[in-house]
Amino acid sequence: MLNDFFILMKFELLPAVIFFVLLFIKVGTAELSNASIIRLANILLFINLVAGFFYNKDGGMFGDMFHTNALIVLQKSILNLGIFIVSLQAEAWLRTHKHVIEFYLLLLSSLMGMFFMISGANLLMFYLGLELATIPLAALANFDLEKRKSSEAAMKLIMSSAFSSGLLLFGISLMYGTTGTLGFAQLPALLNGSNLQVFAFVLLFAGFAFKISVVPFHLWTADVYEGAPVPVTSFLSVVSKGAFIFVFASVLYTVFKPLADTWYHMLFLLSVLTMVIGNLFALRQQNIKRMLAFSSIAQMGFILIGISGSSQAGTASAVYFVLVYVFTNLAAFGVVALVSAQTGKEDITDYKGFHATNPVLAWVLAIALFSLAGVPPTAGFFGKFFLIMAGAAKQNYWLITIAALNMIVSLYYYLNLVKALFMDANASPVPKITFGVYAKLAIVICIAGMVLSGLASVVYEYIYNLSTGF
Amino acid sequence: MSEIPLTHILFVSTALFFIGMYGLFTRRNMITMLMAVELMLNSVNINFVAFNKYLFPENLDGVFFTIFIITIAAAEAAVAIAIIINLYRSHHSIDVEDATEMKW
Amino acid sequence: MSTSEILFWFLSVLALFSAIMVLVSKNPIHSVLWLIVVFFAISGHYLLLNAQFLAIVNIIVYAGAIMVLFLFVIMLMNLNKETEPSRNIWMKFSGVISGGLLLWIFVSATRSAGEIVGKTAMIKEGSIGLIENLGKVLFTQYALPFEISSVLFLSAMVGAVVIGKKQ
Repeated sequence: MLNDFFILMKFELLPAVIFFVLLFIKVGTAELSNASIIRLANILLFINLVAGFFYNKDGGMFGDMFHTNALIVLQKSILNLGIFIVSLQAEAWLRTHKHVIEFYLLLLSSLMGMFFMISGANLLMFYLGLELATIPLAALANFDLEKRKSSEAAMKLIMSSAFSSGLLLFGISLMYGTTGTLGFAQLPALLNGSNLQVFAFVLLFAGFAFKISVVPFHLWTADVYEGAPVPVTSFLSVVSKGAFIFVFASVLYTVFKPLADTWYHMLFLLSVLTMVIGNLFALRQQNIKRMLAFSSIAQMGFILIGISGSSQAGTASAVYFVLVYVFTNLAAFGVVALVSAQTGKEDITDYKGFHATNPVLAWVLAIALFSLAGVPPTAGFFGKFFLIMAGAAKQNYWLITIAALNMIVSLYYYLNLVKALFMDANASPVPKITFGVYAKLAIVICIAGMVLSGLASVVYEYIYNLSTGF
Repeated sequence: MSEIPLTHILFVSTALFFIGMYGLFTRRNMITMLMAVELMLNSVNINFVAFNKYLFPENLDGVFFTIFIITIAAAEAAVAIAIIINLYRSHHSIDVEDATEMKW
Repeated sequence: MSTSEILFWFLSVLALFSAIMVLVSKNPIHSVLWLIVVFFAISGHYLLLNAQFLAIVNIIVYAGAIMVLFLFVIMLMNLNKETEPSRNIWMKFSGVISGGLLLWIFVSATRSAGEIVGKTAMIKEGSIGLIENLGKVLFTQYALPFEISSVLFLSAMVGAVVIGKKQ
């Protein structure tokens, strides 16, 4: 029994242990230098990542409050990998920061929240995990304490997240009122598609849409991404979005299966809107973080296409895309983080002639951009390919056509940036960036991940076999 | 035994919810916006308690959900207030329309 | 009309009126005070619904802690002045329209939901909302959410201290 507890809840207990180790270091008397804290935190996060691969079991605990299975373990490992890479990349920014330990405390508690949210089999657990995942992130967005933009971003994040959780809660309360239960296991049998239930579902859906910044609810995304410190932005765009996608797909497929007709049409409409508006706004951005923000909105549209397939391939392609997205987007943000930490430059025009001074970083960024655009040999292509194939199973060819057109539009702005990197001349290019062992390691992991997850078809097959059907 | 129909209570809570939503969109003072959010959360609390007591009195799910909403609202308000204080230090204002360094 | 009905109508009108006053008053201090009235009215509703513990918690946490925090911050930053409520008229107009539409959808959805119409409270005994029962369930069935909220408080505290502290 006790053994079960430790094995089943391993993913949540490890971050908790690391959290308290760091907390005790902070409140203790020992004065550690930033460099040694960062080293310690990275080693602990690496142990956390590796430990996730051993001794896993399926099962539940605390009644219906907590459950885990092989797919959930995989999803949590993807998030662990994401947070490890983010932490490696944050080193350049944290080196001179005054609150390194607090950064890790908030990051870890947010990660714990995501894990509980993924594992929860109950609307209460889901809500608590969601709040635990977002509130520390709002504080993190303000970690460039003396920058005006940073506190503005934090304010926008917490206001929009409070509003979205208000909507979500109203939906949950109506769901409870019409069914009398909060458990994921009991809900499907009690859903009968009455008006009130559909209304409740729409509110719940809107709450979700806020978190994964689907179009009518995306307004906070670009401002928050621009204002927050780059490591926090990359965490928000990759790890946090990934966690919400996992939960979204599983909740739609298992709990709201009886309302499948309703949400298929909603997903169709929203994915088209999200892709089109995300790409159109990405075209006109001057700041590279804002451009990546809108590109990430457009990518969410593609994920919705995959989820709308409502099949085993739907889950599998969404999870696979998130895995690819972790490597790809973190590679792009890693380069942006290095440039931003050392020179403070974040405009697209600053990246002109980047290749002349920083050939390695320019190539990394270029590969990441090709992958984001979905150019064939890269992992991003396979990710989008599987998503669209999953969506095509519904025979809705409008959706596929619009998705293909959007890929062409997105190609334009990604290639524009690549052209700036390699071909445009610049009188005052970004100076030579020196980067330490942490950033190197992060880049190697990202590149290796992009190549391997794209070329090795076992990865997708493995995820496909773990995914549950519809 | 109370004689008030459930729909009456639901109407009160829904009206509170939309008053809060309206306030969130129309007020410019960040602290007032935060108060509007608290109104929305409170209306949800009423919903939960009313559903629990009227329709499903055999267990306590709704009441517990309310307790957790109250605790989380406290944590959220604390972080939001800290952020507003920080914003005030740099902007010398808590008007949302002064906090528009980033646009489009 | 029985006592509980009279109380219900009184508390509802009080809650809605003060909620509107929260948004109408131009001085943030007045908003906070009206909001406290709303919380008391809602606590009264909880008492009518026989949830005594919640009524007390609502007053202690909301009126006692959160609102004091708000007041404290308003005083600290010396924001005790009239701010013009503006935002342009179209924003308000669209707010009213969309809010009204949602309300209308909700009301019509509720009226059609058979399981809700015409229900009156079936409160078995007076003890179900009392601390003893709640405590037992909280520390058995709801132990995990309880622990999660403690982590949430800890991290919210860390975040608030780092951000709010003077550099």
